Amino acid sequence: MSGLEQIIREKLANGSDAFLCLKNQAGVSVPVLITSPDSEDIEVAELGEVRYPLGKILIALQKEHPDTRLAVVVRGCDERAFIELSKLEQLDLDKLVMIGVACTPEEAEACGCAKPYPEDVTLGEKVENPRGLETIERLESMSDSERMQWWKEEFSRCIKCYGCRNICPMCFCKDCSLENPHLVEPGVIPPEFPSFHIIRALDMAGRCIDCGLCEESCPAEIPLRSLYRKMQEIMADKLDYRAGESRDEKSPLSFLGEEAEIKNLE
Amino acid sequence: MTNSINELEDTHAILVIGSNTTEQHPIIGEKILSAVRKGAKLVVIDPRSIHLSDFADVYLRPRPGTEVAYLNGLAQVIISESLQDRDFIETRTEGFEELKKLLADYTPEKVQEISGIPADELVRAARIYAEAERASIVYCMGITQHSTGTDNVLSLANLALLTGNIGKPGTGVNPLRGQNNVQGACDMGGLPNVFTAYRKVDDEAVAADFESVWGVDNLSRKPGLTVTEMIEKAAEGELRALFIMGENPMLSDPDINHVSKALQKLNFLVVADIMENETMQYADVILPAASFAEKEGTITNTERRVQRIRRAIEPVGESKPDWEIICAIAAEIGAKGFDFNSPLEVFEEIRRVTASYAGITYERLGARGLQWPCPQEDHPGTPILHEKVFPIGKGKFTACEFREPAETTDEEYPLILTTGRLLFHYHTGTMTRNSPSLTKEIDKAFIEVNPIDAKALAISEGDMVRVASRRGSLEVEAKVTERVGKGVVFMPFHFAEAAANVLTNTAYDPVSKIPELKVCAVSISSLAV
Amino acid sequence: MSEKDLSYELIPSTCAYCGTGCGVLLEVMDGRLSGVLPQKDHPVSKGALCLKGWSSHEFVYSPRRLDKPMIRKDGVPVECEWEEALKVVAEGLQKARNEHGPDAVGFFTSARCTNEENYLLQKFARAVIGTNNVDHCARL
Repeated sequence: MSGLEQIIREKLANGSDAFLCLKNQAGVSVPVLITSPDSEDIEVAELGEVRYPLGKILIALQKEHPDTRLAVVVRGCDERAFIELSKLEQLDLDKLVMIGVACTPEEAEACGCAKPYPEDVTLGEKVENPRGLETIERLESMSDSERMQWWKEEFSRCIKCYGCRNICPMCFCKDCSLENPHLVEPGVIPPEFPSFHIIRALDMAGRCIDCGLCEESCPAEIPLRSLYRKMQEIMADKLDYRAGESRDEKSPLSFLGEEAEIKNLE
Repeated sequence: MTNSINELEDTHAILVIGSNTTEQHPIIGEKILSAVRKGAKLVVIDPRSIHLSDFADVYLRPRPGTEVAYLNGLAQVIISESLQDRDFIETRTEGFEELKKLLADYTPEKVQEISGIPADELVRAARIYAEAERASIVYCMGITQHSTGTDNVLSLANLALLTGNIGKPGTGVNPLRGQNNVQGACDMGGLPNVFTAYRKVDDEAVAADFESVWGVDNLSRKPGLTVTEMIEKAAEGELRALFIMGENPMLSDPDINHVSKALQKLNFLVVADIMENETMQYADVILPAASFAEKEGTITNTERRVQRIRRAIEPVGESKPDWEIICAIAAEIGAKGFDFNSPLEVFEEIRRVTASYAGITYERLGARGLQWPCPQEDHPGTPILHEKVFPIGKGKFTACEFREPAETTDEEYPLILTTGRLLFHYHTGTMTRNSPSLTKEIDKAFIEVNPIDAKALAISEGDMVRVASRRGSLEVEAKVTERVGKGVVFMPFHFAEAAANVLTNTAYDPVSKIPELKVCAVSISSLAV
Repeated sequence: MSEKDLSYELIPSTCAYCGTGCGVLLEVMDGRLSGVLPQKDHPVSKGALCLKGWSSHEFVYSPRRLDKPMIRKDGVPVECEWEEALKVVAEGLQKARNEHGPDAVGFFTSARCTNEENYLLQKFARAVIGTNNVDHCARL
């Protein structure tokens, strides 16, 4: 029995109603929710080399089944997402058991996030990772107009698939500003520059947990992650906040939002 | 496609003709842009400037319907500048001398006269294609939907043969098939002249083969009618009953007023579909079909990749998968050979009669599929066709003379209408117009008019205009834009309330029988007060 | 709550729109199609989709979906049972063939349907009705 299989059986026997991880189906890795110790899926469960937005899946699951106790295999990015989503009141961490898996050195290098492991690592070995900031450094060496032109060219390939938003574990709004016709003209590709992309970048401030799924899903290969990383750098420098790091400290932007709302009501 | 989609990312030059790839095959469009970022040269030829033309090294805007002229022009430049691949022509082709003779007349200057493409730009495009180590041609309905569609394709093939751009990675003549399973529908014999794998119905041995597998003795050796011809025969009263599965000719076919008359003349019309559509108004029986998410089966993409679709949910309401519907009708008639319990069982029969699919099994397909031809179960599939030889032995150059489109402009109808699709919609909109994420982007028809024409016709952005052709008329909102050239207007055909195909012409290519949806003559007048 | 109700599945499939053939995962929550995710390691689409692909679950429960067979009676389509609809179809096709010959019947098969379905309909047209009048919208 593999380590993962053992863990799944143990969790299902000890209080978890269901177990979320990846499985091999028809030769590819896809997320699976195992709800019974008799499930045939347990034998094909795997850590896999691909990543899916588990936060998004959990939000949907908890919404329909708020009392379900779920166990879930998490990488560093998944854990950061869950922590931030809980602060944004989208996930109930008390109903979640996280089984931590560290990314392999190859995975960590290919992805380039600063913390390729969760707080508690059950599977795999922690590796530290130098954060890949080459693109940001290159952009900062440009003049403002050069940089604007560079982004304009990158975004000229955008076909408005909304994949960056749709795959993002941190995007959960029902009404999305990207679809507000007063902010972005509908039906036009490439979408208006820079409004479409600035709106999304601003929404990511204090929220983006640097999983990189947006960039992975972008058919136009736009280096979105660098833009959102820059937002996180600003948040860290100016407001001393890093999304998904601390379970207790709330995002300063969420306070500002609440205060602004109260002011408007008065 | 002779080649595979991913090869586009690593080729050195791409010639995109009559394909608005970004909008019709968005993921392939992005692969073309990926190649451009890696340094590939891009030539775009389209009467309408499209997203890809913004990235092109050369963008040529011809008058619609002049394809053979400018394709011959490109070939003429290649030969006159000695850019052809002599070895390839020598060893793998025939008919070069004849082509060369015909091409002599198609000088860049003459082509400019016919097509409006500046002579020097044509030369630049020809050099880019011919000088690249590997070059790929990508085309779509802008090449085929003409009364000269077959000549257009043959003329494109001439370019690939001249330069040896076939049978190698990153080359080829690559039609992008529109629908998710148009390749498969053709492979499966959903055509009037062939059984599966393009085996001809009028070939005695082939027909006898199918008779023995199917256990019948009465197969007709007479090729049948195409969609356009069936509509014609229905109008003439010769076709009496029609069974339509998953199509909506009242929006997709040329000259809708004529289609309407034809369908009304039928004695018996059956329509099976997932959604209410415009064709159903004339149906005697309407059958609810299950959608792609509600059934099992395989579909074949534009690079001949056979892939699974899998049942995710139960059929909605009382709908049934089309395979079940067909088997149930056969059972009602008492016909043998339709007692299948699953698509898997049907696929096993397909493998027996279709050599190119014989090595494919559901299990082998997994979640990545296999590209035909795949003749045996240990065959890895075929990403690139014609690597060593062509099916007919040597590749044949076919010299085609330019012919004008079936309908040309005159005083009464002075503008050329060309039609097409939008990124956010699909064909007749039965799926996309019922998807809020897509209707939020755009949900109404428009006509694009060049600013010079708009000014002459006193049409402003957003005005309602009446558009008329010899076959019908409609009202639609005008968009004044330089995306179309002077004298040309464009309409998407997705929208029933302003259905572009009310205007289009039923004239078709004599060989392929494809209607000339890309060129017809229209007039426009402003309805603004 | 009863945990029997809880189910969440991602079913690998192929996008229903264009001929690119991108890989999708159909998301099914408690028996209902709830969304689409791109298949990450698909050979063509490699984890990307266009907006049509991303939203290809949206039309499935549209109020315009047909959910019952209908037969035209006195000029108006009326809902009926499958049994009756199939009988009328079988009779209608046979009547046209018997009275006017097999080539008076035609079939539009579909580039939107599966290989299996296209195969069956052309087989039906050819082997049962006896006509090669079978074509689809490849040219449209």
